[in-house]
Amino acid sequence: MVLKKGRFIIEDLENVQINIGNITGAEVEEEEKEKEKKEAHGPTISPGIHGLRDWDRRLLGRYEPVYSPICDLCCYCTYGKCDLTGNKEGACGINMEAHQAREAMVRTITGASAHAGHGRHLLHYLIERFGADHPIDVGPSNIKAPNTQTVLGIRPETIGDFIPVLNYVEEQITQLIATAHAGQEGSALDFDSKALHAGMLDHVGMEVSDIIQISCLGFPKSDENAPLAEIGMGLIDSKKPVLLVIGHNVAAVTYIIDYVEENELIDKIEVVGLCCTAIDMTRYNISAKIVGSMAKQLKYIRSGIPDVIVVDEQCIRGDVLKEASKLHIPVIATNDKIMYNLPDRSNDDINSIMDDLVSGSQPGVLLFDFDKIGELAPELTLKMAPIRKEKGYTALPDDEEFKRLTSSCSRCGACVIACPQGLDIDVAMSDAAGGDLTLFEILHDKCVGCGRCEEECPKGIPVLDVIEKAAQKVIREEKGKVRIGRGQIGDPEIREEGRNLVLGTTPGIVAIVGCPNYPDGSRDIYDIAEEMLKRSFIVVTSGCSAMDIGMFRNEDGKTLYERFGGRFLKGNLLNVGSCVSNAHITATTIKVASIFAGRNIDGNYEEIADYVLCRIGAVGLAWGAFSQKALSIGTGCNRMGIPVILGPHGPKYRRAYIGNPYDPEKWNILDARDGSSHLMEPAPEHLLISAETKDEALPMLAKLCFRPGDNSLGRMIKLTHYIELNEKYLGELPDDWHVYVRSEADLPLAKKEMLLKILEQEHGWEIDWKKKKIIKGPFRRPDVSFQPTNVPRLCKGASV
Amino acid sequence: MAQKTVDTTKRAVPFDKANVPGPKMAKPVKAELAGKIISKAKRPLLIVGTPGADTGLPEIIKTFNSKSIPVAATGSCLKALKQADVEATYVNLHALVSYLKDPKWKGFDGNGNYDTAIFIGHTYYYASQLMSTLKNFTTVKVISIDRHYHPNAQMSFGNLNDDDFRTALKIVAAQL
Ligand code: SF4
Ligand code: SF4
Ligand code: SF4
Repeated sequence: MVLKKGRFIIEDLENVQINIGNITGAEVEEEEKEKEKKEAHGPTISPGIHGLRDWDRRLLGRYEPVYSPICDLCCYCTYGKCDLTGNKEGACGINMEAHQAREAMVRTITGASAHAGHGRHLLHYLIERFGADHPIDVGPSNIKAPNTQTVLGIRPETIGDFIPVLNYVEEQITQLIATAHAGQEGSALDFDSKALHAGMLDHVGMEVSDIIQISCLGFPKSDENAPLAEIGMGLIDSKKPVLLVIGHNVAAVTYIIDYVEENELIDKIEVVGLCCTAIDMTRYNISAKIVGSMAKQLKYIRSGIPDVIVVDEQCIRGDVLKEASKLHIPVIATNDKIMYNLPDRSNDDINSIMDDLVSGSQPGVLLFDFDKIGELAPELTLKMAPIRKEKGYTALPDDEEFKRLTSSCSRCGACVIACPQGLDIDVAMSDAAGGDLTLFEILHDKCVGCGRCEEECPKGIPVLDVIEKAAQKVIREEKGKVRIGRGQIGDPEIREEGRNLVLGTTPGIVAIVGCPNYPDGSRDIYDIAEEMLKRSFIVVTSGCSAMDIGMFRNEDGKTLYERFGGRFLKGNLLNVGSCVSNAHITATTIKVASIFAGRNIDGNYEEIADYVLCRIGAVGLAWGAFSQKALSIGTGCNRMGIPVILGPHGPKYRRAYIGNPYDPEKWNILDARDGSSHLMEPAPEHLLISAETKDEALPMLAKLCFRPGDNSLGRMIKLTHYIELNEKYLGELPDDWHVYVRSEADLPLAKKEMLLKILEQEHGWEIDWKKKKIIKGPFRRPDVSFQPTNVPRLCKGASV
Repeated sequence: MAQKTVDTTKRAVPFDKANVPGPKMAKPVKAELAGKIISKAKRPLLIVGTPGADTGLPEIIKTFNSKSIPVAATGSCLKALKQADVEATYVNLHALVSYLKDPKWKGFDGNGNYDTAIFIGHTYYYASQLMSTLKNFTTVKVISIDRHYHPNAQMSFGNLNDDDFRTALKIVAAQL
């Protein structure tokens, strides 16, 4: 018998368990496995920082980094501050370009670390609770961990198999952050390659996090019919005791939910969540409710409705404790990422902790013992509710105070200048003083709840509270539904739809992801999703975007999740889950390459990313991206060959990857059949870019689904949507539509004649009108056997 | 009737208070001078953002058309500009700044890249952030004739109220 790493239980010896870790036999076996893998698999098993540098350079050669400094100074070391304006060099020799690339890289690494740290925390906990040999179960799939397999060449079967995966991610993150130390890397391009590496690592870290929680916590497993959860401030019964959880790491919250259920408190207490913990909590137990996205944090706390707040990690405001204690809401911090200078009470008796919190002698506690959290949080909520409700704690002004506050506004505009959205708060104040709340009701959805306005008001007006008070009528109507996170796309779904996607008959996957720093309110992403769904795109969503999409209803009172199916099929809307579930989006493209195209994915990142870039019309939209995590998710998509559009706040990330369609040198592609080089249409045109408005983003989404591998039917369908969306939202034919025409078969049927005329008259193409055929014009003809690639070694006859 | 005057150099502080980029910030410019500089530019390009479709602005933008200054319609203002008979070409603003820093780009007319970029009617933070690309990595002269002070331009109006903004634009137009 060969001894393997794992856990043995010896029969008849109760409570005796032998854990086998790194014993020599197991090591030898591992080494043999590694050797086998290296022989049979792709060239980059667990690539180091430079392992995929060639691929990055191919991407960055076509999609040039465009830097937009948010600050012209560098204050990174004690030589500084250095003024780098105009691409000058600082004292260490770094110039503005490289510094900006470094800044963006550091943020990408930060995002990747947040997910990897989350994954490591969960992995420790789940291994302790379920054992390292707990099997992975993500639903009906043989490819269980596509990102892991593609990056590391590992095919995990148990949650313990993810230990070396996270070891790798963590090692790489350490190496990457080391390069940010002043006085070494001087190349912007190499910083960008490193950022792309961090983005790729992020998708592995996210994948680990979500797969292990799906496998252990009973989350939906590739379930197209995952149930609908309730979402919205208007749905929460504030008469009941309300327990609010905020964050991203659901581990502790599961204990709370179990306790509530076991003690039959479900009808007595409202367990509600904000941000991704809320999403994952409903994946664990559908009885939980979602308040909403990150933007609702301060607003909801200020409402005074929560009786207790539990925080875990990631996108949580730094002032939760301060704000909560003003309203006598005790805070329980459960994760060492956020400790708010609170005392660690993990070893104390629950009753004594409870007493201190109820009396207010401590505004909050740090508690790492999940069993205690599970009991304390609901019991404390039951105790706090009558006390708090009797006192009527809320930050919102009453009617009289509201009048006084709005009338005291001097319209100085300081709040407007402070507001990241530049909202017309001053005008709304004077309207409200005159009794008209309309503008405030509109601003409520556009306001991202940051509180910057209040910091500046010389009259001390609590602006956010005034907005929220004014918008009470609207808030009461905030009632939506969201299909809870379904997890991965299953192999059978890929088998069914992969072909349509690659050939283009399903026009594309639009992934609407990321945070709620929207430029013009959350309704935009609902509108975008609806438009693309009606056009048969597959819309995939996650995190805060998934929540906000569910906040709006049509005239029949139905949300998009009720109107569109949840299967991986054209015209379906799929919520994959929380932030960490974004890994399933890149995973989907990997699966298509493997299942539909039969590509070997193990340790074969470059080939797979090349396939995705050339063939799979997938595009991301991070319309309200604000966090470092959103940047790393997007950057990971970019390395995998998936373009991403950001909202107008996006350039604050400091760099984009933009294609220059007029430069023929950038758009050469190889035919893998013989290695010949061909000029191609700019498809996709950009890798990372921003748009100013949703009306601009919509045609861009369709355009970024073009791929050089489209067949004629697919190209015709994609071109139809691009043209129609451009006409609808920008009022005319796009001026580059002809670039995507390779033959008459690519032309939208309904407009064929008209478009042929334009090609002849405006672009000088030669048309055979009898046959309605293009004789001369396009720089490339469609060829069904064409095998586009950007990687010379993948061409026939190439010396590898 | 005499032209109303307005001092566009007042309140020259970043409209988004924290948007202080560094030691080099836009010089506040009078509307008349802005108009003169634009009229003297060899290869000017007017860059309009989505709020540029607001009432009245397309009429001013048309003046640029009449002086053969090309108009880039960024964001989603194209539809409204067309309806107002403005001649403009759609381009994404992020892509445009990338093109502007590329010597290989020959402009919309194929005659070469632009030397002066005039910004009007933009989402403030978006334009500001993308002007920083032009400021740091190009020699393009950026003149903001928008209603808020843009520190990343080379020259900019201060923060103006609506009336003053419109008056200022008329003064600019008169100089073209
Ligand atoms: S890292 Fe370089 S550019 Fe930055 S402050 Fe130090 S010396 Fe100056
Ligand atoms: S809280 Fe809302 S209104 Fe106030 S500054 Fe932030 S976004 Fe603007
Ligand atoms: S800062 Fe205060 S006083 Fe000034 S406009 Fe805003 S709310 Fe009114």
